[in-house]
Amino acid sequence: MSLFLKQLGWELFRMFARKRTYIGFGVFVAVELVIYTLLTLDRSERNMERWIERVAGGFDHYFSALTLAFMIVAFTMLLLGAVFVSLVTGDIVAKETEDGNLRLLLVRPVSRFRLLLVKFLACQLYAIALFWFVGLTAFLVGLTERGWGGGMFVWTPELPRVSIFEWNEGLFRYFLAVTAFVIAYLPITGIAFALSCLKIKPAAATIVTIAYILADSILSKIPLPIFEDYQHWFITPKMQSWALLLYQDIPWPRVLESWMWLVGFGVTGFVVGWVIFERRDVKS
Amino acid sequence: MLTASGLKKRFDRKAPPALDDVSFAVDEGEIYGLLGHNGAGKSTALGIMLGMVYPDAGEIVIGGKSVQREREAALSQVGAIFEAPAFYEYLSGWQNLKVLTAFSGGVDRATMEEVVEWVGLTRRIRHRVGTYSHGMRQRLALAQALLPKPKVLILDEPTDGLDPEGIVEFREQLFELREQSGVTILLSSHLLAEVEQVCDRVAILQAGRKVYEGGTRGLGGEGQLHRIEVESDADREKTRALAAAHSAVPGPGDDLFVLPPDADAATFLAELVKAGVRVKQFVRLESTLEDLYLEVSQIRRERGPESKSPSA
Repeated sequence: MSLFLKQLGWELFRMFARKRTYIGFGVFVAVELVIYTLLTLDRSERNMERWIERVAGGFDHYFSALTLAFMIVAFTMLLLGAVFVSLVTGDIVAKETEDGNLRLLLVRPVSRFRLLLVKFLACQLYAIALFWFVGLTAFLVGLTERGWGGGMFVWTPELPRVSIFEWNEGLFRYFLAVTAFVIAYLPITGIAFALSCLKIKPAAATIVTIAYILADSILSKIPLPIFEDYQHWFITPKMQSWALLLYQDIPWPRVLESWMWLVGFGVTGFVVGWVIFERRDVKS
Repeated sequence: MLTASGLKKRFDRKAPPALDDVSFAVDEGEIYGLLGHNGAGKSTALGIMLGMVYPDAGEIVIGGKSVQREREAALSQVGAIFEAPAFYEYLSGWQNLKVLTAFSGGVDRATMEEVVEWVGLTRRIRHRVGTYSHGMRQRLALAQALLPKPKVLILDEPTDGLDPEGIVEFREQLFELREQSGVTILLSSHLLAEVEQVCDRVAILQAGRKVYEGGTRGLGGEGQLHRIEVESDADREKTRALAAAHSAVPGPGDDLFVLPPDADAATFLAELVKAGVRVKQFVRLESTLEDLYLEVSQIRRERGPESKSPSA
């Protein structure tokens, strides 16, 4: 076990030693700042004020650092989350195979399963770091603008109505939702990883993953009877499970059901990738 | 120490096989060369040895462990450079070694420093690999292959791209390694001079088949290699009979004969003429590895792909 952790540690060290990693993080910060700017424009604030006053009352109380951070995170993840996660995971095997780095690892006395497991888990830990980074930076932006304290006002299309929390509960829910992004994005890491194990260009793994997620998202929203019987096969609605954690009363059975689907999808992606890679000849 | 038996591999059903029934054995402490032009099957053979390529048939056994059935146990005895070594450019040489050796169970700092010093990289080991020259990358590749200390070294075109000074240094390092730790070395190359100077024995691969296995002193070994071209089949029969009487052995081609080291070639030629053999050509061949390689390649081409592999 300690050897496995050591291997995982070095894999993470390698991932975080890349300049590209920080460029990616920088892009997230840039997008967060753009969204923050848009949300704090006079017109946007006036609209928010009207809405909060009508639904919850007390704009100054509920338009807090947490509310602002939540909106920044939700929009940023919508814009960049899937792209960035599929980019990192799609690269993990395909790019290293293409560059030849993997050849140096595969001549070592280590099974392909173990090597892939180390890489897959490193991707998950990387995703946790990224989501927490996004969550923390958005929170810091919110704190800078609105200061500590107040309530939290939340609404997403997945919620039946708005949720309102006081500061401590809101803080807990906010970071719980941010952490839950890891499970929500497991299908993306699973698909990108499986594709990455094929003999294809790294960019192809990323593009196909994004195309799949996009198609799934569009098809799941088409209100045609033809899709009614297949609704449970669409994965993107289940990826919104992070928002369920922001319900006034968390619907745990629904959350757990979604998580099981998401974990199942992610693990299936890993197993498919492993089976593909296990049978492959690795040679330029 | 390393045995390859009946290796067969075809990457594409429509293409000719990359390897076709190739077998050889490398003894403990031996330096063994796999020779062949590009596409001859050398890298495929090495890939199978390292568990990177799955053979259609055949098996590699290293130190009593089958690579195909007990991959990890077999490869725990092996250090390797397979194809062009590609390191993580943004990491230092030291960090690369740490990442790689973590997958071999880890290596203590003292051993790593010792190997780094031995390959002559101490001064630059903390620098980013992206700033390394080709020669330094090859040194780093050798260092990673030696960590942890292997019983068998498998090196794919190890001097590829090195300058003459680097090649000489590398050769000396291989000899030193064998002398100091008795390591068995198998290397592939298309550089005949290099193989001739380094290897004890070679196998020549051509179009996926082994066409020669033996010493590096050439087809004649210690004897005198002659090309004797005669007029007809009857003359060839007479030549063979007379050659046998002179303890000469036929080479891999119809016209090649190896006379014993102390044989008098002039007397043999005189006896051929006296026996009525119409001799068109009687030439002593300088038997370097290059001659051997070209000769064997020529024979192979003339005989076509179905011919049996000559062995020395």
